[in-house]
Amino acid sequence: MLRASSKLTGSEADLHAVMGAGATHTGVAHGQQLVAFAEAAVAATHEGDPALATARDELLAAAGPAALVDAAAVVGNFQRMVRIADGTGIPIDHGMNALTAGMREDLGIDRFGSAANTAEVSGAAKAAGRLGQTAAAAAMKLASRLRK
Amino acid sequence: MSFSYAHSPVPVRDDIPEAHRKTWQRLAGPGSWWTGAERVAIASEARNAPNCALCAERKAALSPNVAGVHDHEGKLSEASVEAIHRLVTDAGRLTRSWFEKLMSEGLGDAPYVEIVGIVAGVLSIDNFHRALGLALEPLPAPRPGEPSRYRPTSAIREEAYVPMIPAKGNSGDEADLWSRMTGNVIRAMSLVPDAVRSLKELSAVHYLKLEDVPDPRIHMPGLERPQVELIAGRVSALNECFY
Repeated sequence: MLRASSKLTGSEADLHAVMGAGATHTGVAHGQQLVAFAEAAVAATHEGDPALATARDELLAAAGPAALVDAAAVVGNFQRMVRIADGTGIPIDHGMNALTAGMREDLGIDRFGSAANTAEVSGAAKAAGRLGQTAAAAAMKLASRLRK
Repeated sequence: MSFSYAHSPVPVRDDIPEAHRKTWQRLAGPGSWWTGAERVAIASEARNAPNCALCAERKAALSPNVAGVHDHEGKLSEASVEAIHRLVTDAGRLTRSWFEKLMSEGLGDAPYVEIVGIVAGVLSIDNFHRALGLALEPLPAPRPGEPSRYRPTSAIREEAYVPMIPAKGNSGDEADLWSRMTGNVIRAMSLVPDAVRSLKELSAVHYLKLEDVPDPRIHMPGLERPQVELIAGRVSALNECFY
C-alpha cells in the first residue's frame, strides 16, 4: 500500500525505509521524522522516554500537530494489528501472496518467523507477481498523471 | 471524564477519545468468554508483561522456549498469562505449536481470540498515549454479568491457528462484520464477533475505516496516505510481522 499510494501521489517511496535502511531518503514527505518517531515510539517503555520526546518534537516541528496525532494513532493501530496477525497465525491473503512475494524477498521480510504461516510461492508465481507489480505501478503512475 | 486529553501537547480530534471511551466501556463489561473482571485483569496483565523477568529472558534468547514462571497478578490461569505476555512482548515468534500447547492446557480457541482482541486494543490505546507523551488511562472498573458464550456456527478451521468465518460467510448476526471485501486480518478474530466490531471502531480513528483501506487515495486528516503507510510498514517491520 505504501508503493501504491506513493505512485498515486506521483512520488516514489523507497520501500527499504520500512526495514530501517535509507530512512534519510524515504521518498515520502517528512519521511525521516515519521520513521524516527515510529522507531522511538515502538522502543519506548514509558511516556517520558527522552528519545521519543525528541522524535515527537522533531515531527511536530516538521509536519504540525494534526500529523503528530495521526502518527501516534497509526503507531497504536499497527502495534495492535501485528498482534492480531501473529497471534492468530493468519497467512497473507491468497491474492496478495504471489503479487508481493518478490518484494518480500527483496526487502528480507521472508526471514521473519511468522512467514511460516504463509505458503511459499513458486518461482514462476513469483515472477508473475513481479510482472503484476510492475503493471500495477504503471497503472498508478498513469492514474496520477491523469489526476493532474 | 476518561480520555479527556486536556494535557495533550497537541489537540486531539474528537473521534479519538470517543472511540477510546467505547473501547473502555466494552472492556469493563462481560464479553463472549470472559467476565468484566477477567477482561480488565487481562488488560492489566498486558500492561504488566513488559516488567516480567521471564519474558525479558525469553526476548533476549535465540529461542523463546525458555522454561520458567511469569511474574503476574495471580488473577488468571498460567496459560492465559502465557498468552497475554507473549502477545505483548514477543508476538513475532509465536508458532502453531505454541498455540496448540495453550489449547492442550485448557485455554479454548474462542477465549484465546478474545484475549488477543483485548490485548491488542489496550496496546493500541496505550501506544497512542505513550507516543504523545501522555500517562496511560487508568483501567475501568469491571461491570458485573456473565459472558454470552456466543460462538458463530459459521466459523471454520482454515490455515490460521484459530477458526474464522469465511470471507463470504458473514451472514445473519455477523453480516455487519464486513461488507463485500475483507482480508484475513479482519477475519482473524471473527470467532469472537464483538472483537471484530471493536477492531473496526478503533481502526476507523487510529488508521482508516476498514472498508477504505484498499483504496490508496484515502488518507487520514493529518497525514497523506504514503506517510501513513510508511509508519505502518516501519512499525510492522520492527515487530517482525510478516503479514
